[in-house]
Amino acid sequence: MDIKREDILHLAELSEFTLSDAEIDDLGEDLKGIIKYISQLDELNTDQVEPTYQVFEMDNVWREDKILPQEAEREMLLELSKEDQDHQIKVPKVL
Amino acid sequence: MKYLPTIGIECHVQLCTKTKLFSEVDNDARGKEPNSCVSPIDYALPGMLPRLNGEAIRFAILAGRAMNCKINLHSRFDRKHYFYPDSPKGYQITQFYQPIIGAGYVELPSGTKIRIEHAHLEGDAGKLTHFDTYSLVDFNRVDTPLIEIVSMPDIHSAKDAHDYCKELWRLMCHAGVTYGDLYNGNMRFDVNISLAPEGSKELGTRAEVKNLNSFRSVERATSYEIKRQSKLLDQGKKVVQETRGWSDAEGKTTGQRSKEEAKDYRYMPEPDLPPINLSKEFVETESAKLPLMPSDYRSAFSDAVKPDTLEILLDYPQLMQKLGEIASPSHLGHTSLRSSVPRGFQGRSAKLMVLDGMASTISLISNLFTSVLLAEEKSAEYLNDLPSAKDLIELAEMNEKKELSSTATKEVFLKLFDPQMKGRGTKNIAKELGLIQENDLGALEKIVDVVLAKPETQKAQNDFKAGEEKVIGFLVGQVMKESHGKANPGAVQKILRDRLSK
Amino acid sequence: MKIANKKVTAERLVKDALAKAKHFADYNIFTFLNEEGAIKKAREIDAKIAKGEKVGKLAGVPYALKDNFLSPEGETTASAHILQGFTSPVTATAVAKLEAEGAIMIGRTNLDAFAHGSSTENSYFGPTLNAFDRERVAGGSSGGSAVAVALDIVEFATGTDTGGSIRQPASFNGVYGLKPTYGCISRYGVVAMASSTDCIGFFTKTPDDMDLLMSIASGQDSKDMTTLPDYYNTELERSHLGHAQGRSPKLTVLDETSSSSISNNHKASGCRVGIIKDFDNDSVDAEIRQALKEKCELLKSKGHEIVELEMPSLKYALSAYYIIVPAEVASNLSRYDGIRYGFRSDDSAVLDDLYDHTRSEGFMPENKRRIMIGNFVLSSGFYDAYFLKAAKARTLIIKEYEKAFSKVDFILTPVAPNPAFKLGEKVNDPVAMYLEDVMSVSLNLAGVPGLTVPAGKTKTGLPLGLQLVGPRRSDKNLIEFAKELK
Repeated sequence: MDIKREDILHLAELSEFTLSDAEIDDLGEDLKGIIKYISQLDELNTDQVEPTYQVFEMDNVWREDKILPQEAEREMLLELSKEDQDHQIKVPKVL
Repeated sequence: MKYLPTIGIECHVQLCTKTKLFSEVDNDARGKEPNSCVSPIDYALPGMLPRLNGEAIRFAILAGRAMNCKINLHSRFDRKHYFYPDSPKGYQITQFYQPIIGAGYVELPSGTKIRIEHAHLEGDAGKLTHFDTYSLVDFNRVDTPLIEIVSMPDIHSAKDAHDYCKELWRLMCHAGVTYGDLYNGNMRFDVNISLAPEGSKELGTRAEVKNLNSFRSVERATSYEIKRQSKLLDQGKKVVQETRGWSDAEGKTTGQRSKEEAKDYRYMPEPDLPPINLSKEFVETESAKLPLMPSDYRSAFSDAVKPDTLEILLDYPQLMQKLGEIASPSHLGHTSLRSSVPRGFQGRSAKLMVLDGMASTISLISNLFTSVLLAEEKSAEYLNDLPSAKDLIELAEMNEKKELSSTATKEVFLKLFDPQMKGRGTKNIAKELGLIQENDLGALEKIVDVVLAKPETQKAQNDFKAGEEKVIGFLVGQVMKESHGKANPGAVQKILRDRLSK
Repeated sequence: MKIANKKVTAERLVKDALAKAKHFADYNIFTFLNEEGAIKKAREIDAKIAKGEKVGKLAGVPYALKDNFLSPEGETTASAHILQGFTSPVTATAVAKLEAEGAIMIGRTNLDAFAHGSSTENSYFGPTLNAFDRERVAGGSSGGSAVAVALDIVEFATGTDTGGSIRQPASFNGVYGLKPTYGCISRYGVVAMASSTDCIGFFTKTPDDMDLLMSIASGQDSKDMTTLPDYYNTELERSHLGHAQGRSPKLTVLDETSSSSISNNHKASGCRVGIIKDFDNDSVDAEIRQALKEKCELLKSKGHEIVELEMPSLKYALSAYYIIVPAEVASNLSRYDGIRYGFRSDDSAVLDDLYDHTRSEGFMPENKRRIMIGNFVLSSGFYDAYFLKAAKARTLIIKEYEKAFSKVDFILTPVAPNPAFKLGEKVNDPVAMYLEDVMSVSLNLAGVPGLTVPAGKTKTGLPLGLQLVGPRRSDKNLIEFAKELK
């Protein structure tokens, strides 16, 4: 399939990237090549084949509903952010 | 032109599990400091993995059964991607491809049935507070377990929209899976509304009003949209497919500038959580823990309780469960399944029936609940700790036997809730308050004779004998006074009459 | 690896390791040297030994930690700009288990940013050099760890393997590298690349060391719901063999009583070893194919049987892998937004810019490629054609391995099509770089274990490695059988 400039821009938007024109061209080429390669799968007949999302034989793994002390509490976590105020993380205004 | 509104509603219910859906931190952040209920998992540090809370699975089964839904034995989680500070992982863990709750229906008090398309488990988002140049982010609500209930477009009026939401709220509260605290956003509603000319086959373009958190706002927003869209259509204009917000103050909906339409959530199976494969046995065992539902009470109490009284009481699961216990003591109720199921609990496994002779008791107590308890300003706190069924039954008996006047009955009833008095037993409380009526004839006759011997009653006695009926009231009053109000007025009058007719 | 004998102190071992690390500084192996922390821990252990107190199985053993494992010692950066400045308040389960046994982390090792790569050239800190030829790549993504062991700086190093990131650098540097069965070792606290294929593993100099590390690190973890109940230490490893056509077990326990280092009391004999015909062609370097033939002869001489296998679906493994993994990568890397930790771009007056600028500046080109490919294969209209199709191909690959292991006990294949290549040779050609993984990714898609075993050198002196593959949960057998290849 053909990847156009606007496709690249759409994928960049989904990925939250701002790309320079150079990047748009380079990534465009790279993505074309990669998509061409992975499209080889079309050859493979997968009719009546169930998909596999995990290679883990177990199911119904869940924990009991019990409050436990955590490895890191509020202060240790908020300390990691650039800016906090009133025990909350400060971010630029949302448009 | 006349239009038929077609309405579908998505409802988010916050589950009252002790811990969050994917971490072992406190799930009840009400009144707690920002970010005080946050684990490294909720904060989405690198390398953190979700730890599924099994209780949420059980609650989902109960919620599903409360809506007569099929429980899917095979379900799993998926990731829904979007960038916003309220979503630390950059995706929400939800159930897009294989939800745990399948099709079912909710029956409104009016008898109308609204079909449920499906319902699924997912994690809630955090909270942003906006200021003019910045916003603050609080993750307390991140991954609070939610059940999203998706209705079929079976609703056609603002009133039914209101009733559906309220009935959902009652079902979830009776099932004990949520605190049902609307003020704190425990239940939130998104309403999809479209209009089509009456009789036309295809549906119109729909607008969605998001994040309504009261039944009243659901009703108002819906009627507003119906008016707004009819007007547009009458003017030959088009309804824009969009998300709209509701302002309670202005009483109107407004279009929200949002990428919604452009949004591509890139759903993907959640690789960090194994699939859920439930056995029939497990689903049956868990379903059996479902307490009595409004429909059970409606059918059981149709004779004993006036419909309007019943509809009021149905907003209070704990009161209904108490009435259930009174009706047939085997029906031990419990409001929240956060506490393990009490011994003797039967839930819906046994059909609720009003035992012989209990109808009048149910009738009296349900009236006291509405007219006295709910009118009391302390009712909120009283509701958390109800008196035993035994005490209430005893109260009804004393009232029956005239040992308590109707006023005294109300007074003792309230005292049963009073932390100071609680648990002392109805009789003792009534005694302490000296409210038990004197019905012992011998004793009454003595008092009557004392009164009749008093000079100040002679005139009245003569007047009565002369045929002046009404003075009997004065004499009864005198006796009551002598008995310090404990005498049963009816009995007193009887004795007076045959004394004076001699 | 133990220092129970008091001949050498932990402090000595750690100081030597740190000295060697500095001596080889120009190989760019470490992103952080844990000098103070390591020496402090070493002294504590020496004090314990002096007092005759009990010490762990790895007491005083210096090791290197791939920089995508979270621990409070040094910044955890995954060699990515966007994680600069992030010091973790939490500790990965694997790290906690190693340290509980007294192992001492002397430094964090370089990798391709977020483990995206097969050469360790995609690192924010620049490439790590190959231990045997400084003009060649270390392999990747765990290049730093492989070289740290190959240059004998440490006794062992941790790695992560999503599509070959342990096995390929191990073969490029002539050391043992194990990618265990999926779910064998907890992923908690390890920077996620692709959750359904990520595996935690090790680089060592001997199979016995690998066995010891596995016995310590494996097991179920309540913090990772995709971990298997401990089978490595509890199950009779024999039970995994012989379901090759129901023939009798191959590993015979000589001494039931002996405990920890079970390795010493097993002997393998008469195993069936499969080789994959589909890989025996010019796409694979001649010297590697020669090495494979020689090892087959060696095995025959030891009474093992060589069986030719046809596994036609494997040629689709790479395509499926580069659909499934980028999808999970795009998802797992959504959390890096500059809001809660790590790098945040300053010039952002509005939120949208904060996201855009932080992610555009914070990710390496290869990160961006994979994120965009992932978003492509998941986006509406393409999901069925790509992601779902790949998930079905994955089923076929799993079935093909199950079929193979009904015929053989192990499979022996090349790890990569070639020995270590020149720096810069492939870094600008993503598809050529991806082809490095063509023989390693199918194991990750199937969740089966693979062990890189050194297999001599090229004429020019570059290490060669082969990959020993077994069915799920056969990790211990792989390690045992590797001795047969010596």
